[in-house]
Amino acid sequence: MNFENLRPYFPWITLVVLVLLVGIANPAFFDPVGLISLVADIVPLFIMALGMTFAIYIGGIDLSMQQVANLVTVVATVYLAQFGIGVAVICIVAGFGIGALSGYVTTRQFVPSFVSTLATGFIALSGARYLSGERALSMDATIRNESFGWMFGTTAGVPHELVIAGVLLAIAWFLQSRTTFGRSLKAVGAGELAAVSSGINVDKIKIIAFAISGTFAAIAGLMFSVKLSGGDANLANGFLILAIVAVLVGGTPLTGGVGGVLNTLVGTLIVVVIRTAMVYLQVDATMQQMVFGIILIVAIALTIDRSKMGTVK
Amino acid sequence: MYQLNKVDKTFPGVHALKAVDFTIGRGEIVGLVGENGAGKSTLMKVIYGAYQPDGGNVTIDGKTVRFANPRQAMDHGIGMVFQEQSLIPNLTVMENIYLGFEQQFVRFGVIDWKKMAAAASAQLAKVKLSIDPSMTTANLSFAQRQLVELAKVLTLEERIDGDLVILLDEPTSVLAREEVELLFSLVRELTSRASFIFVSHRMDEVLELSDRIYVMKDGAVVDVVAQADAKVENIQHKMVGRDVDKEYYREQKQKPYDPSQVLASFENVTVTSSFKDLSFELHPGEVLCLVGTEGSGREAVLRTVFGLEKPTSGTVEVKGSPYGKANARTAVERGVGYVPRERKVEGIVNGMNVYENMTLSQMGKYSTGGILRIGEERALAEKWVERLAIKTPNVYKDCGGLSGGNQQKVVLAKWRSGGSDIILLDHPTRGLDIGAKEDVYDMVREMCDDGVGIILVADTLEEAIGLSHTILVLKDGEFQKRFDGTPGDKPSLFDLVHHMI
Repeated sequence: MNFENLRPYFPWITLVVLVLLVGIANPAFFDPVGLISLVADIVPLFIMALGMTFAIYIGGIDLSMQQVANLVTVVATVYLAQFGIGVAVICIVAGFGIGALSGYVTTRQFVPSFVSTLATGFIALSGARYLSGERALSMDATIRNESFGWMFGTTAGVPHELVIAGVLLAIAWFLQSRTTFGRSLKAVGAGELAAVSSGINVDKIKIIAFAISGTFAAIAGLMFSVKLSGGDANLANGFLILAIVAVLVGGTPLTGGVGGVLNTLVGTLIVVVIRTAMVYLQVDATMQQMVFGIILIVAIALTIDRSKMGTVK
Repeated sequence: MYQLNKVDKTFPGVHALKAVDFTIGRGEIVGLVGENGAGKSTLMKVIYGAYQPDGGNVTIDGKTVRFANPRQAMDHGIGMVFQEQSLIPNLTVMENIYLGFEQQFVRFGVIDWKKMAAAASAQLAKVKLSIDPSMTTANLSFAQRQLVELAKVLTLEERIDGDLVILLDEPTSVLAREEVELLFSLVRELTSRASFIFVSHRMDEVLELSDRIYVMKDGAVVDVVAQADAKVENIQHKMVGRDVDKEYYREQKQKPYDPSQVLASFENVTVTSSFKDLSFELHPGEVLCLVGTEGSGREAVLRTVFGLEKPTSGTVEVKGSPYGKANARTAVERGVGYVPRERKVEGIVNGMNVYENMTLSQMGKYSTGGILRIGEERALAEKWVERLAIKTPNVYKDCGGLSGGNQQKVVLAKWRSGGSDIILLDHPTRGLDIGAKEDVYDMVREMCDDGVGIILVADTLEEAIGLSHTILVLKDGEFQKRFDGTPGDKPSLFDLVHHMI
């Protein structure tokens, strides 16, 4: 067993070590009720990270996710009274559309995804600000509970949020591991040129990958909005870097082709544990972003496959 | 004068150099031969300072030296003429020659271009090249660029007081015979000032030019022969470790093709800036070889058959009808398989296992409603691993970890298992050792027996002649001549080169 062979297990090892460290420092951490609510709390983040995994898996990135989620919180709040639960469809279509647009710009206009998604993100942000009139909106409590109350119930002590996360994870895993789409995704991420010369429609695969990340951003935004019973153009701010950190510390490198959605589950849990630890250690709230910024740099430096990169620009 | 003593170099998983001793005397020309992977490149990189040895030492005139980078090696008079030309195409010739050493021409913070042009002209005169040093490098021919590259290294003459050692990495691979002669006479003249290390695959050239020849195999020097005692067969035997089959290209297995059927045809096809007015027909069982120098348009022909390039004019028909849109998908559906030159990048997906690679072009056949039937994929892969004797512990092995020959077999299995009957081979034996090459030649013959039509861009002219039924010679994108390659009546190297240049 040398360093390279151990590499795929690093995220798991990191998670276990962190949990033990935090648990030893504060045994109350292991309280099951507290744990479950802790995990249920980060479901929107996890869903966003799941979507991000698809973009990063093909060697791209989706920086529009946070703005798509922002837009969706506003859309959901504004149109809930009119459409009830049907607003979910509008939100998902919007997310899918913006993601597909990013994919189109990336593949057909040859704009690198970090720029194209940054741009579509700004378009979404503008939409959110226009629609919300730059105010924080809130949902009508009755309609909210009628339409989406089920999201936050519990069955046999299991919060429904966790069930939703589990179902989405299962779908994402199935897509990634058992379908021709998932196989093509891997080929594009690990060896795009070989995928082209095997006759795979690489552009289509990339557009779908970004559309999926947009869709997951929309679902995350919807849940977040319902959870906080409102929406505004800045509600989901702060999610983007955490989602990227979750994917990368989970072991899906920026160069793509390796890792996947299960890694993102581990990565998200690592993020939660670190965040919890910072609360226990009374790290000032203003310092927390710095910590995640540093973790992001370290995670990229450790996971990136330099042989796949000619030059860094 | 320049000496390597028991130099060792290891990379993760590879012992690339094993206690290599290497000496070069003043004014000597030393040849270096070995198969791909024998350690020639690593040895050269140690010599010109790109790699640092893990063990042993390097001495110049008895003094131990250690180079942290190629610049330090240059300061000791060691220069490298690269095979993949290292000139920057959008700079002028003189800028390239003095790249990184412009300081000598700087006055008051700006470059004195006249002075640089004069100095560059003097350098170009050394290699007998009369071109304007302020020309853009991209406008030079390949051979001219090779000479500029040499001129660039020769600036060491002025810069360094002591002896020079110049490495020539495959300098002749794309040169015409006359250009090779010119280069050789230049090198011989320059031995008054420099020693040369000459690396080439062309055994006859190595024998002609070198005073001594180092033969490498598996990271070690297995023999050093003086020019007088050198024989091609003996050296080849030492390089490979066994006798090479006389019927290397399996000519005894070459059967006539079926001219009554046509798999693919070109009729006056032009692809702007690549080739023009090309016509040919590909028949079942035929190996059609495109011959020409780098940039003659050979690869573009393959890409056109594969649907990646759209013809500007003329008709390309594959299985009786032209393509609609220009993408590879239709080509694959019609049974065209492409074995690209860059095997590790375009051939296999490094990071995917054997069965995933084999079904990559035909996932539709192994899925229902987009859901893969992985069990069937594995069964297919196991069958072809056995049939082509692919050396892999199992079908779950990452293809990036297989040897070059086995990777190539996986690529061939991908197309053949999918029933492709037009196979495009772009340098199929590049970088393979001799045993793996012979496997590829065997597979070419087997495919022909199965009625597959093959369009080949060969790694060497010998390979092109040995394998093909039909040879088309291209030059600067223009069709030159068609040769028939029936065994016993094959054209000679000279016939081809004559039309290539």
